Amino acid sequence: MAKRFLTADDVRRLGGPTIVIDRETVVTPQALETAASAGIAIRAEGGGAYTAPAPNRGPDAARAQHTLPQLPEPELAEGVGVVVTAVGKNRPGVLAEITAELARLDCDVRDISQRTVADFFHMVLTCAVPDGADFKSIKDTLQCLGGDDDFVVRVMHERVFRFMHRV
Amino acid sequence: MPFTDREILETVRMVELETLDIRTTTLGIDLLDCADPDLESACEKVYTKIVHHGRNLVAVANSIQNDYGVPIINKRVAVTPISLVAAASGSDDLVPFARAMDAAAVEIGIDFIGGFTAYVHKGFTRTDEALFASIPAALAETKRVCSSVSLATTRAGINMDAVAKFAAVVLETARRTAADGGIGCAKLVCFANPVEDNPFVAGAHHGIGEPETVLNVGVSGPGVVRSALARLGPEASLQAVAETIKRTAFKITRMGELVGREAARRLGTSFGIVDVSLAPTPAVGDSVADILELIGVDRTGAPGTTAALALLTDAVKKGGAMASSSVGGLSGAFIPVSEDQGMIDAVAMGALSLAKLEAMTTVCSVGLDMVAVPGDTSAATIAGIIADEMAIGMVNGKTTAVRIIPIPGKKPGDKHDWGGLLGTAIVQDPGRFSCEVLWKRGGRIPAPMQSYRN
Repeated sequence: MAKRFLTADDVRRLGGPTIVIDRETVVTPQALETAASAGIAIRAEGGGAYTAPAPNRGPDAARAQHTLPQLPEPELAEGVGVVVTAVGKNRPGVLAEITAELARLDCDVRDISQRTVADFFHMVLTCAVPDGADFKSIKDTLQCLGGDDDFVVRVMHERVFRFMHRV
Repeated sequence: MPFTDREILETVRMVELETLDIRTTTLGIDLLDCADPDLESACEKVYTKIVHHGRNLVAVANSIQNDYGVPIINKRVAVTPISLVAAASGSDDLVPFARAMDAAAVEIGIDFIGGFTAYVHKGFTRTDEALFASIPAALAETKRVCSSVSLATTRAGINMDAVAKFAAVVLETARRTAADGGIGCAKLVCFANPVEDNPFVAGAHHGIGEPETVLNVGVSGPGVVRSALARLGPEASLQAVAETIKRTAFKITRMGELVGREAARRLGTSFGIVDVSLAPTPAVGDSVADILELIGVDRTGAPGTTAALALLTDAVKKGGAMASSSVGGLSGAFIPVSEDQGMIDAVAMGALSLAKLEAMTTVCSVGLDMVAVPGDTSAATIAGIIADEMAIGMVNGKTTAVRIIPIPGKKPGDKHDWGGLLGTAIVQDPGRFSCEVLWKRGGRIPAPMQSYRN
């Protein structure tokens, strides 16, 4: 039976012992409850108990999945995965602390620049990350370095800079 | 080096210090296939479809935030105008639809859902009338549902009967949410020339020309523009000011384009539009009024304010248009009074009157937004304020809106703090003269000459 939805009302009307539905039909929570309390089994066509289908986002969505990756992007900066910036109070060992953590995360520092003004420093590192690395864990690990009264680290994906500063 | 230090630090500064963010990722969901002659079944389908499609929205937005280091503040859903979805049910009480929307919003973890909507710019269907009657109860009973109505278009003129009815709905909504300072009205907006892909609440809804599902993005960044102008200084010419705003808007929009593409890809849907709107928040520095004052007026509301706002709105649109082929929605500058600390200050010191605000709406991207008036303002006066705003939109072929809050028990000059994003209102004086006769005439203001374009 090809239906977009199976409602509680449908279940009461169709009755049991089994209602067979199309694979794309979405069963409402109320329909599931009604069926369960009446002892009616809801099965998807071709056998098996009902499981919610993947959302059908419509014909445009299917096309978009094909066309979206084809939209032109700003040129890729070779070997850059993340951009790490650090700002804070200067003291011996700050650079070592950050780069040691980067090494532990298997990130390759491609470029680095650092300035100090009076007692403060700011530092920019561009790094290549290993294939398949989890950006979130790299970011979280690095951003935990330093502290309120020491220095602050920020990590952003290179694509943000590429979109903002390159056309 | 692929990026210069300056470029990198500029971006980091925008995010860290200047409150640049993706203000909203809004998933539009078509609900026309949820129509059902049985009210209960229709509501079941509405709930089920919103949850079915929206379930991953928050997770996807969070994953993009994590993967790119770009803050995404709000995740929202916009649905097909409920007056269309509910028509088949024939019900006079449409509050159950609002309950279904609210429950679905809770289930998928979002704070607002838009689409308790009707288009009545030319006239009412029976369901439109039922929806109007249901708005006060729906907004009082639910927390997350937002309602919007279309009262006028350039093509159709202004439906003054609908304006009068809407004014009554506003007053009744304020009365029902009196304990919370009439907060229901903050979720209620009327439009001239509404935008069908607007991702920002309270006016967000999924228009009938839209696809099955679509992902729209709203970017904001008044703080970034403000800082750029502060660095430019007061000596620079207005061309330099426009150029600076344009360049900044370009960069902001690029971030929206990136997030929009990525969010649509991860959700498996199509990418609709980037709405590049300077949307202020009560946070210090995140203010459109501050920008106007940096352009060169002493206080927002002083002579020159409308000109400064015209420059700002236009430069934002131009920068946005160069940055993305998908700029849409409202795109420009919002001036929600209670949500903008600079505007609140301007009202408090008597610089910004309701009349000046109305003038500003001729060149901003929306209209009278989050304006508080005394709770005992008459329906005729509220209808008059709305009709004026609709006329501006109709004649100028632009979107205008009114989100007005008659705060029960408050007098002009009184303060009310709603807290959070809605901010603090100072009740404004609508004047002591009304428009009873105009209000009572009823009927429709015909479409202007500009509409005869075929």
